[in-house]
Amino acid sequence: MRQSRIIKAVIIETWLGLKQSGWSNWLVISILAIALTIFGGILQLTISLQNLVSSWGSQLEVSAYLKDGYEPRTVAIEIRQMPAVQSVEIVPKESAWQEMQKSLHVAAIENPLPNTLHIKVLASNKVEDIASRVKLLSSVENVRFPLQAARRLNQVRQFLQIAGLVLTAALTMATLTVIGNTIHLVIEARQREIEILSLMGVSPFYIKSPLILQGAAYGAVSSLLAIAFLWSVHIYLDPYISEQLLGIAPLIASSLKVSLFNTFAVLMLLGMAVGASGSWWTSGKYIKL
Amino acid sequence: MIRLQNVHKNYGGRPALINVNLHVAPGDFAFLVGPSGAGKSTLMRLLYREEIPTSGTVFIGGLNLNRLPANQVHLLRRRLGIVFQDYKLLPRQTVFANIAYVLQALGVHERDIKRRVSSALCVVNLEDKEEAYPDELSGGEQQRVGIARAIVNGPPVLLADEPTGNLDPATSLEIVQLLSRINERGTTVLISTHDQIIVNALRKRVISLRHGEIISDVESGVYEGEAASV
Repeated sequence: MRQSRIIKAVIIETWLGLKQSGWSNWLVISILAIALTIFGGILQLTISLQNLVSSWGSQLEVSAYLKDGYEPRTVAIEIRQMPAVQSVEIVPKESAWQEMQKSLHVAAIENPLPNTLHIKVLASNKVEDIASRVKLLSSVENVRFPLQAARRLNQVRQFLQIAGLVLTAALTMATLTVIGNTIHLVIEARQREIEILSLMGVSPFYIKSPLILQGAAYGAVSSLLAIAFLWSVHIYLDPYISEQLLGIAPLIASSLKVSLFNTFAVLMLLGMAVGASGSWWTSGKYIKL
Repeated sequence: MIRLQNVHKNYGGRPALINVNLHVAPGDFAFLVGPSGAGKSTLMRLLYREEIPTSGTVFIGGLNLNRLPANQVHLLRRRLGIVFQDYKLLPRQTVFANIAYVLQALGVHERDIKRRVSSALCVVNLEDKEEAYPDELSGGEQQRVGIARAIVNGPPVLLADEPTGNLDPATSLEIVQLLSRINERGTTVLISTHDQIIVNALRKRVISLRHGEIISDVESGVYEGEAASV
């Protein structure tokens, strides 16, 4: 009971501290909300790209585009002899062209498509090996495999991740400075109270906790703002992606759904941690008990 | 209750206290006198662990303050009542809130807070000033609020650092008589002062400090003033 009364008193002190800080509350919250939005956006994007990379990368298929004049069936037999090849499907250029004309309403021009072989591979670590061996065949013009695209996407993701971390770190430092200044002002305003409380035997926990909670409250409110913004963007973008990007859309959309809750949880924890640690550091620096 | 053994305190090589040995028994009432700069406030600050001695040992109620970890200083201070020259009241809080503030921080039940604050205000004769703000009170009344706050937690030791420094002689006498009444209820009281009138009016134990050294310690003593100390 005594502990709960102390906690109640700490919460009241926190509320008074927030009231005392006035407009500077909003300065801290807006800067922290921007930092968290950028961090959350990049986190969300990198998680989605990661999921996309994984889905693509796990497709055990190589497409081989044949040069004109080569018989697809002969090449298919040759490829099927290679170890780790499970099956080879032939897509004649005529049927591919008909399919494309039907779905995309392409004008009646000469068929530009090559004969294609879809090669299924037994294990993902063999995909690259098979692709390079197939490419060496004189009958093959080019090969494509999802792993290659996934790798490029991964490079983009890594760049975004690093850029995002750098940007977030810079904004977090700025936020910590602003939180520090705000809490310092609160400490200055309450210097006499703090001194009296200390001399009267009030514990450092009681004196410092309201300030740390105030920082955590900044983090919580900023996180909610960032989450609201990211959620709105998600709501707005989801149908757009589904409509415009056809084949890729379901994959991205499902990736977003999976990682959205995790991102929001990370944002809330990070926001509160940044807010509380900024206040903790400042109160440790300026309150000598 | 209070014991100092071979205590030295230096500030940047300048001695503020030199080989101080002192014992104040439970229930004692003592004045710590001396001119400005004699080391009275330094000694008081050692007692509530605002300072630590350069050498020597300070005990309060058997507790060695030298060995007290910084994170437990608040536990010592809960056993002390401290009264200051400048009262140290919160200007935007009522008398009641000023006294209740510390009890709230200690998690005391609301009902007990009301009872204990009323009782403390009764001791200092300010029952009718509960809702007043410090700036609506005279200096003497503000100091009585400070005393009420110091005793509200029932400490066994009351330290008063120049409690009459900002008061006129008549009010000073009232304050020191109030502290004497608190002592009669069993609280050990140590008052640092250079106010000759209050010391001589009470004829209690007088410990004289000069240039950081105890030069006399007399039961039922008097203070001859600054001229006598030079």
